[in-house]
Amino acid sequence: MKAKRRVVTTPGPVASTRRTPTVRKAKSAFVPVGPKPLAQPVTNRMVALPRDSEEGPAVVDLEVEIGRGLRLPNPILVASGTFGYGIEYGDVVDVDRLGGICCKGTTLRPRIGNPTPRVAETPGGMLNSIGLQNPGVDAVVEKYSETWAGWRVPVIVNVAGESVADYVEVVRRLDGVPGIAGIELNISCPNVGRGGLQFAIDADAAAGVTAAVRRATDLPLLVKLSPNVADVRPIARAIAEAGADALTAVNTLSGIAVSPTRERPLLGNIYGGLSGPAIKPVALRIVYEVAQVVDIPVIAIGGVTELADVLDFLAVGAVAVQVGTAIFADPTLPVRLVDELADACRTRGLASYRPLIGTALPKRAGPPSSKGVEYRP
Amino acid sequence: MRLVGAELLESREILPGQWLQSYHAPRLATGSRAGQFVHVRTGDLSGLVLRRPFSINTVDASSGTITIHFRTVGRGTEWFTHLRPGDPIDMLGPLGRPFEVDPRSQHLLLIAGGLGIAGVRFLADEAIRDGRQVTILFGAASARDVYPSSLLPDEVEYVVATDDGSMGHHGYVTELIPAYEAWADQAFACGPESMLRALARLAATRRGRLGVAKLGRKRGAGRPDAAGSTAARRKAFLQVSMEQRMGCAVGACLGCVVMGTSGTPLRVCREGPVFASDEIEWEGGWGR
Repeated sequence: MKAKRRVVTTPGPVASTRRTPTVRKAKSAFVPVGPKPLAQPVTNRMVALPRDSEEGPAVVDLEVEIGRGLRLPNPILVASGTFGYGIEYGDVVDVDRLGGICCKGTTLRPRIGNPTPRVAETPGGMLNSIGLQNPGVDAVVEKYSETWAGWRVPVIVNVAGESVADYVEVVRRLDGVPGIAGIELNISCPNVGRGGLQFAIDADAAAGVTAAVRRATDLPLLVKLSPNVADVRPIARAIAEAGADALTAVNTLSGIAVSPTRERPLLGNIYGGLSGPAIKPVALRIVYEVAQVVDIPVIAIGGVTELADVLDFLAVGAVAVQVGTAIFADPTLPVRLVDELADACRTRGLASYRPLIGTALPKRAGPPSSKGVEYRP
Repeated sequence: MRLVGAELLESREILPGQWLQSYHAPRLATGSRAGQFVHVRTGDLSGLVLRRPFSINTVDASSGTITIHFRTVGRGTEWFTHLRPGDPIDMLGPLGRPFEVDPRSQHLLLIAGGLGIAGVRFLADEAIRDGRQVTILFGAASARDVYPSSLLPDEVEYVVATDDGSMGHHGYVTELIPAYEAWADQAFACGPESMLRALARLAATRRGRLGVAKLGRKRGAGRPDAAGSTAARRKAFLQVSMEQRMGCAVGACLGCVVMGTSGTPLRVCREGPVFASDEIEWEGGWGR
C-alpha cells in the first residue's frame, strides 16, 4: 500500500460540480467568480483597475487554479513531449519559474516507440511520430518523482494507453506519489479493444476513459483533446461531464511528409503529428469553440511562440497555455513569457492576468465551424 | 550545455554547396571536445521551427573561435550562407558525448565519408596535440567533392577514395581499411549510414584481434564495462558518429534515436552522437 501523501495538491472544491478557475490572492476587485450556469464560458470582461502607480500594479498575480486544488504559480506550462521529464535542459531553463511541466507521455509498460525518422520540419511547424517511447510508469516514478517532489513547479504526468484498463492502471500507480501534481490524459491513442479507433474521436469512448480514470484517482485530471475531429464540442462536453477537471486543447494535427527521393513517406511511421505556429489558427478555433460549451478550465496549446499568442489564447477563453515546439528553437521562451505576461498586465493597469481571459468570446453562442466556414445558407 | 551568443567571423564555400564558417564563441571554444556538436538557431522562427545541429569542426581556444562545416540541403542551411561577418547567432552547446581515445592508442584511423569529415576533423587536431599519429581515409563521389588537404594539419596522412576514380583509390573508402587496420590502435568514423554499417561489420568480424582491444585483455578481462559507458567506449576499436533528424538535441523529445543492441533506442543527441560500433543494432532494428 502506497502512502497517500500530497505535496503539491490541496483539497479542492470537489463538492461543486461546476468549477471555475479561481485566482488566489486577488484584490477585492477580483473576488473569485462563483459557479455559473452551463453554456456560459469562464470569462471576465476586461476590467480596468485603479492603478497602484504610474507604472501600474507592482505585483501582478499570475496564479491560477486548474481544479481539485491544483494551483499553478503562473499560466505558462511546457507541453508534453517537448520538455522530457523536466531535467534535460539542465541549467539552461530554471524550471521553478514555470507554471507547470507536462512530462513525456507515460504508458503502463516500456515502449521503444516508432521507427526513424521520427521528426521532420515543415513550413511553420514540424511533424513528429515518436510513438510514445518511454520507460513505463514504474520506471518514471522511480527515476523522476523524487526530483519532482523537490521542485516548486507542479509536474503533470501525461498518460497514454491502448485500453481503459491501461489508463486506469497507470493512474493508480501515479496516485499518491509525492511530486506528481496532476494527470493529463493523452486520449489520441488507438483503443485496441475497439478496432483501433482513437478514444479522442468518439464522445462515448472519450467520456468512458475519463470516467474510469476519474474513479481511480483524486489527482487533478486534465484531458487533452484531439483536433482531428469534425466537431469537438460534443466530445469536450462529454469529457467534462465525465469528471475531468480541465481540458487541454489541442493535440497535434495528423499529417505526413514525403521523403526527398519521393519514393516513400518520410517518417518511419508514415503519419506524424503537426505542431508549431502552423497549427495556431486551428488551436485558437478549437479553444474558442470549447470554451463556450464547457465550464471547466481550458488550457490552450498550439503554436505559441510569443506573448501575442498567449494573449490570443487567453482572449478566446483559455486560462493557461502550454508552450511546446517553440522550446526547441528557444528553450528560454516559456520563462520569458511569464515575465512578459506580467509586464503586459502591468502596462494595462491590471493586478491579475484574469481580466484578459475570454475577451474575444461572443456574448451569445454563434454557429460552430462544423456548420461550414465560408459558405452559409 | 549553455545557450551562447556567437558572432560570424568568416564564411566561405570550400566545395560546391559546402560551407565552412567560423564563429567567435569563446565559451564553446574552450569547453568542447571532439565529437560534440552545437544546435544552432536559424533566423526565421515563423517558418523554421527547429535548430540545426552541426558537429564542432575545429576550435581555437586562443582566439575563442569555433568552425562548422555544412552542406546546403534546405532553407535552414541556406539561411546560414546569407549571414555576413558580424552577424550574431544563438548556439546551444556543447552537446552530446565526445570521442573517447584510449590513452594507450598511438595510431588513430579516422574514416570519413563526404561531409562526415566534419564529424572527425576536430579529433585529428586533438590527437596531434596529444602526440598521436593520425591517418584520415576520406571517401567521396568524385574529385570535386574531396575535402581540400590544405584544411588539414600537416601531420595527418590523408588518403582519398572516390567512387568514380577521379582522385585516389577507385572505389569505396571501406576498401582501404585492410591496409590500415593492423596499423591502427583505434578507428573513428563519420559518414553515411551504409559506410558506418560496413565498417561495423568489419570490426565485428575481427573483434578482439584489433587495436587496443588486443592490449586490454590483461587487466580486468573478466569484468566487462557497461555498454555505453565511457570506459567501454574508450576500449572500443571502432567508434562511430551518428546522424539523425533531430528535434530538441538535449534528450527531451526522443526524435533522434538509433536502435541499440540492447533493444532500447539510443538518443543520438544524448547517448551519442558518438557510439562504440557494437552499441548499435546495424541490421534492421525495430523489426515490426
